[in-house]
Amino acid sequence: MSRLVAAAIIGLTLAFSSRAADSPSPPTASDLASRLSALRQDGTSYVRLRMEIKGATNETLQLQIKQRRTKDSSEVVYQVLYPKERKGESVLLRKIGKQPASGSVFVPPNTVRPIDDLKEPLFGSDLSYADVVENFFAWDQQAIVGTDKVDGVNCQILESKPGNGERSIYGSVRIWIDERRLVPLRVEKYASSGQLLRRIDTTRVVADAGHHIPADLTVSGARPDSSTLLDGSRIKHNVTYTDSDFTIEGLKEIATPHTNSKK
Amino acid sequence: MTFFTFVTRGLTRRPVRTGLTIVGIAIGIAAVVGLVGISRGFETSWQTGMKSRGTDIVVSNMGRGLTPKPFSATVVERITPLPHVAETCALLVDLISVEKADMMIVSARQWGGFSWKNLKIVSGRLPNDAAERAVVLGKTAAEVLGKKVGDTLQLETEELAVVGIVDGGAVVEDGSVILSLPLLQEITGNQGKINIVDLRVTPRTTKEELTRLCAQITGLVPEARAVIAGDHIRDSQAYRMISAMSWGTSLLAVLVGVLGVMNTMLMTVFERTQEICVLLAIGWKRSRIVRMVLWESALLGFLGGVGGVLIGVVGVQLLVTTPAIRGLLEPELNPQFLVMAVAIAVVVGVVSGVYPAWRSSRLTPSHALHG
Repeated sequence: MSRLVAAAIIGLTLAFSSRAADSPSPPTASDLASRLSALRQDGTSYVRLRMEIKGATNETLQLQIKQRRTKDSSEVVYQVLYPKERKGESVLLRKIGKQPASGSVFVPPNTVRPIDDLKEPLFGSDLSYADVVENFFAWDQQAIVGTDKVDGVNCQILESKPGNGERSIYGSVRIWIDERRLVPLRVEKYASSGQLLRRIDTTRVVADAGHHIPADLTVSGARPDSSTLLDGSRIKHNVTYTDSDFTIEGLKEIATPHTNSKK
Repeated sequence: MTFFTFVTRGLTRRPVRTGLTIVGIAIGIAAVVGLVGISRGFETSWQTGMKSRGTDIVVSNMGRGLTPKPFSATVVERITPLPHVAETCALLVDLISVEKADMMIVSARQWGGFSWKNLKIVSGRLPNDAAERAVVLGKTAAEVLGKKVGDTLQLETEELAVVGIVDGGAVVEDGSVILSLPLLQEITGNQGKINIVDLRVTPRTTKEELTRLCAQITGLVPEARAVIAGDHIRDSQAYRMISAMSWGTSLLAVLVGVLGVMNTMLMTVFERTQEICVLLAIGWKRSRIVRMVLWESALLGFLGGVGGVLIGVVGVQLLVTTPAIRGLLEPELNPQFLVMAVAIAVVVGVVSGVYPAWRSSRLTPSHALHG
């Protein structure tokens, strides 16, 4: 009898140890960052969103975003559709490899100026120009620094730091990642001194093209008593753009691009 | 002293406890009225919208969203020749943020289609043709957007003229921005795409023929599904989830109410042990004691139900005036539903009273001697 019990215990131990060996090991920080980077740098897309700036003066903007992102480059155009008096205000941002991001601002009817400081706010919101063009998942230094729950969802906390030769307005970025859905639920951006500069909370996640993406975001911390809500209303992938869409001349045109597929 | 004097005296003896128990049930019933009323109202709003558009069958693919998925407009050509099909009208309907409004129904209709004909002009006019860069607004949409005839409306990249305000005869229609199909297709880059085909059948088509036609269309158009108007919203996974969540949350709230009543009635039975024993001693049957306890708990349920209905109705009326919901739906708070809510409360009361009643029936006159 005792032999039987011992055999059963050994059998169970082996079964559990082999099962443990079969189970996938948790992803490393680099794996996690590169998977998220691949999701972000996913070709061409078109996004429509509503931006509500809450602060001393409340303002609601309707924006369209044209994006062309590859593994090594990001080109984005943000354009104001509403309100009428700001319609046509546009921002072009470009970042190639580890080179610093650059860009231009167009204000109708004819004002074009280069972007000198990526810390400047995007259309007066709590987002900076750097926030919309930088891909911190592609930075060299990635580390998992803990786990936490965001609204009851288990998250891995990924810390990204720009590596040698990479320039950013931030010293580090911490991202709370829902590992199951592979979506960031919170992002905190710090100065080199460690001071929290900006916090971005995901308030709604939607399924899109087979994976999950943040649809609504709240950005805070950039200025006292101010926050910006971003409500994404539509995203289209595989949008046909031309090179001229990402030029200063392209900034002056407001048109909805045609798509190969609608999501 | 009548039987019902005993029933009411049991409840009035501890007015604070009775009052709190009633509030507990009332909150549960208010949740039922509010959540279920709104989710059913969503369905009713779309059904009424369909009726006001004069639609018998809807061809769409509801999928997981609240608006249907787009498909090719050529679907209409495949449907039109089928028997019993009198008229079709292709639509592209979307829920999008417009100007400052959070979410608006934007309903683009095939120019000349029958869905235009039921719009009653309140002011202004309908667009002159499919190409005119103009919209008409349902009367609620006009209020929400703060627009009048002659204003402009920014829709995606286009600034369109508001040429008319219309009464659509249903909340969904009144809350819509309405424009011609080719215009929205152009503005949104969805040329050749629609997501709904409204279909009118020939007069005297029977229900069986309608059902058969739906099956025929669904077979012919694999990218969409044909359902009798009003049923299509039930096809939406999102709607089914909202409905299930409404009932689930409400039932949890009601369960809390059940426990509250049960606790109150048990306390009542324990406190009145001597009284019940004396009643048994003077000849009351056990069944009468059980009935007394059940009547008390039913009365608690009834009062909680009435209170809950009042709270629910007022709450919902306040809720639908909020900018996020206004113009999108009307809650279904018809008398039958409200009576059903009170009936649920009474049943909850009776069910909660079963155990305390059983406990009271186990008493004997001798228990009075033990205090």
